[in-house]
Amino acid sequence: MSIDDATTAVSEKLAGREDMIVCVDVDKFYGDFQALKRVTATIKEGEVAVVCGPSGSGKSTWIRCINRLEVHQGGDIVVDGIELTNDLRNIERIRSEVGMVFQQFNLFPHLTVLDNITLAPIWVRKKPRAEAESMARALLERVGIPEQAEKFPGQLSGGQQQRVAIARSLAMEPRVMLFDEPTSALDPEMIKEVLDVMKELALSGMTMMVVTHEMGFAREVADRIMFMEGGEIVEVGTPEHFFTNPTEDRTKLFLSQIL
Amino acid sequence: MENRDAILTIPDENGSLPPKAPNLSIGQWFRKNLFSTWVNGILTVLGTAAALLMLRGVLNFVFSENRQWDAVRTNARALMTLTYPESQYVRVWVAFGSVVVLAGLSAGIWADWGRLPARRLAGWFMGAAGFLAVCILVREPSVLMDLEGKTIRLPDGSLVRESFASAMTDRANWWAVVALLLIVGGVIWRSDSDKKQLKITQVTYLGIGLGVLSLWVAPYGHYAFTDGTYIADPNSTVAFSTKMPWTVMWIMLAIGFFAGRWLRTSSYLVLAKAGSNLLWLISPVTLYFVILRDPALDYSHVFSTDLPMGLAFGILGACFLWFLTRSDIGEIGRILATAMLGIAIFNWVAAFFGWYPMLQKARISFLLLAVAALLAPNFVGEAAKRRQLLLGWLGTMALVHYLATMINTPSTVELQSTEFLGGLGLTLFVAVFVVLLSFPLGVLLALGRTSKFPIFRILSTSYIEVIRGVPLISVLIFFSVMVPLFLPDGMELAELGAVLTGYTLFSAAYLAENVRGGLQSVTKGQYEAADAIGLTSAQRTGFIVLPQALRVSIPQLVGQVIATFKETSLLAIIGLFDFLRVANSVIPAQSEFMGVKREGILLVAVIYFFFNFVISKYSQRLERRVGLGER
Repeated sequence: MSIDDATTAVSEKLAGREDMIVCVDVDKFYGDFQALKRVTATIKEGEVAVVCGPSGSGKSTWIRCINRLEVHQGGDIVVDGIELTNDLRNIERIRSEVGMVFQQFNLFPHLTVLDNITLAPIWVRKKPRAEAESMARALLERVGIPEQAEKFPGQLSGGQQQRVAIARSLAMEPRVMLFDEPTSALDPEMIKEVLDVMKELALSGMTMMVVTHEMGFAREVADRIMFMEGGEIVEVGTPEHFFTNPTEDRTKLFLSQIL
Repeated sequence: MENRDAILTIPDENGSLPPKAPNLSIGQWFRKNLFSTWVNGILTVLGTAAALLMLRGVLNFVFSENRQWDAVRTNARALMTLTYPESQYVRVWVAFGSVVVLAGLSAGIWADWGRLPARRLAGWFMGAAGFLAVCILVREPSVLMDLEGKTIRLPDGSLVRESFASAMTDRANWWAVVALLLIVGGVIWRSDSDKKQLKITQVTYLGIGLGVLSLWVAPYGHYAFTDGTYIADPNSTVAFSTKMPWTVMWIMLAIGFFAGRWLRTSSYLVLAKAGSNLLWLISPVTLYFVILRDPALDYSHVFSTDLPMGLAFGILGACFLWFLTRSDIGEIGRILATAMLGIAIFNWVAAFFGWYPMLQKARISFLLLAVAALLAPNFVGEAAKRRQLLLGWLGTMALVHYLATMINTPSTVELQSTEFLGGLGLTLFVAVFVVLLSFPLGVLLALGRTSKFPIFRILSTSYIEVIRGVPLISVLIFFSVMVPLFLPDGMELAELGAVLTGYTLFSAAYLAENVRGGLQSVTKGQYEAADAIGLTSAQRTGFIVLPQALRVSIPQLVGQVIATFKETSLLAIIGLFDFLRVANSVIPAQSEFMGVKREGILLVAVIYFFFNFVISKYSQRLERRVGLGER
């Protein structure tokens, strides 16, 4: 399959889908340092977009802007038709639509796995406890650790913790999942179990935006790969295009270093 | 925790426990831990000698022929409640009894005490026996007395002591206790061939049972003061002879405990937990102001003013809140809530300048209504949620107006001094009250100091720094002497009220710093994760940040509680008769015990130690329990 064919295939898959995340000319500054430079991208419903690039390239900053963990100073971010402004109600609505998985898991260490997962459904979605718990158990089943429900996060391995974190995000029934380097803090033998869960999620049609260095995952699962450097999106393309025939020199250099 | 040991040592995947170090024989243990080098050997010998000498000193002090323990025994009631009148003493029982029942209930509901190896229990008995035996051996032989009860002296003035052998035979009763403890320990040890674990609850039942029984055995000298001598009634036991019916108290403790055990397995558990917590919260106020003070209610005033006012606030406030929680309220709600806050603050300013008269509880109610109005947006929605807010409001109003009425009514207890309570009762009341009130205030201050709103941060920081820069004594003096001068005409603050306010404000500043330390230990990732799953900032603080922060600061918080308890002795400086002051200045001023001070102070020290030791032990347990999720 040629590059053009692959691009066409992706466009066909996503044709007619709604725009889920729209970023237009997003700027972000830390003091004088510009972390994001006019970042513009659209992610369609059901798309799996992988963002990669060297460290310090702004990929984590970008993904964290999308649910307002970082505040962008210029440009527009629209998630599922809701524009991200300083209006608290919009931020709350977007956060309950968008799930996020962190590099350091960030589970709540004083709550059991089950309480970690049911907290937001009960208090934000106002679900009855019994319903939230049965959903939490189903989600733990889905991520492959149903037997760990009563334990505390500190008693689990890194891979299990990250899977709980994914279940915790899914419990809010989000329309988009953001992954901020989900496997970077894991021991090598635990990376696969987390990636398997993410693959299953991608196949189920979830819109996903993944910041990762796992090129195998990107090649296999991504619809599109975005390469960032210096706060800009340098190159966007299908995995075939990206890995076999990148156009930009900076992309080639990056790939030669990590592959 | 039923299976705490199982959690503490996690079995590996095959379910087997990690291998244990081999047990040492007693000789090996001594060589390894005490005499491993000759320096260690010398240190062990010197340390043991020093410990024995200190023990000997204490025992000689306690059992010296110069001690007048009668002074303490006769003044037992003064030490506990000072001048609380005899005729109304039943109120003290009721107050103490309520606390006992509540303690038993809570212990029954909450305690999940796990198991205790039978051999450890046996070890405690044998250890106690050994310690008692050492005490008997090291105490000096008693001084010989002549028939008139005077000490016999040799011509050179030195005292004549009985021989060591006769001292040991004189202490036969104590040896019998040692033997009894050894036998009990030995029986438990021998009967435990299969290394059983006893349930701690069973051990507790046994303890309560022994406690009740001991009252019927323990002698109580009922000392009557006639013609300058005390006559002991040798035949009475503690069971019913004291002014405080200890037997009844023990039985009530047992009833409370069993009721708690029953509730634990019943379907009312959640309700019982919430109820007992609420009772603990309001008990210091109700026990002190309602039961001990016995307010003389003026019913015409109650029906003409107090009741209508409470009802008006309850009903009109409820209507107001119902309106504020309409789903189509929009911006009007915020405006009305802010206006209400303005009115509430204006009432307090007016009070300060004396512009218009208003009952204090009306000002408090307005303030509470403003707070409820500000909270109202959280309850907008379906009827059930709106009703929650209304019920909360009505409950708060009922409680506030009831207590305010009770507190404002004069006491019927016949006072012999300005403050009707003194002694240990006053100490405990002040300590519990201050800890209960300063805790929420301290948490709020800590949150304020770490808030991202500059105004809260500046206010909290300056408050904390000012208070921490001032000694407690000056805060207490300020509140007892200076504050009444600043109050508008007609507004009075009782001495005790002033002290409680000052001490609470003082303690809150220190608690705030301890909580802040905990807040800083919560990582940024926790805040981000809470934000990312959509929690509001109040939910984030309540569910994620504070539980972790408080858990980290338990040791410091408990240290602060202990300090608060001990520093209540400073109340003496502003004229209140706390526990220590009774022992230090009231008893030595009595004509029959002129200058007898040491006995009372030793007793006070022991009781302070007992309470603080219990608090400290409990906090260690708490630390271990909440530390579970860490690791």
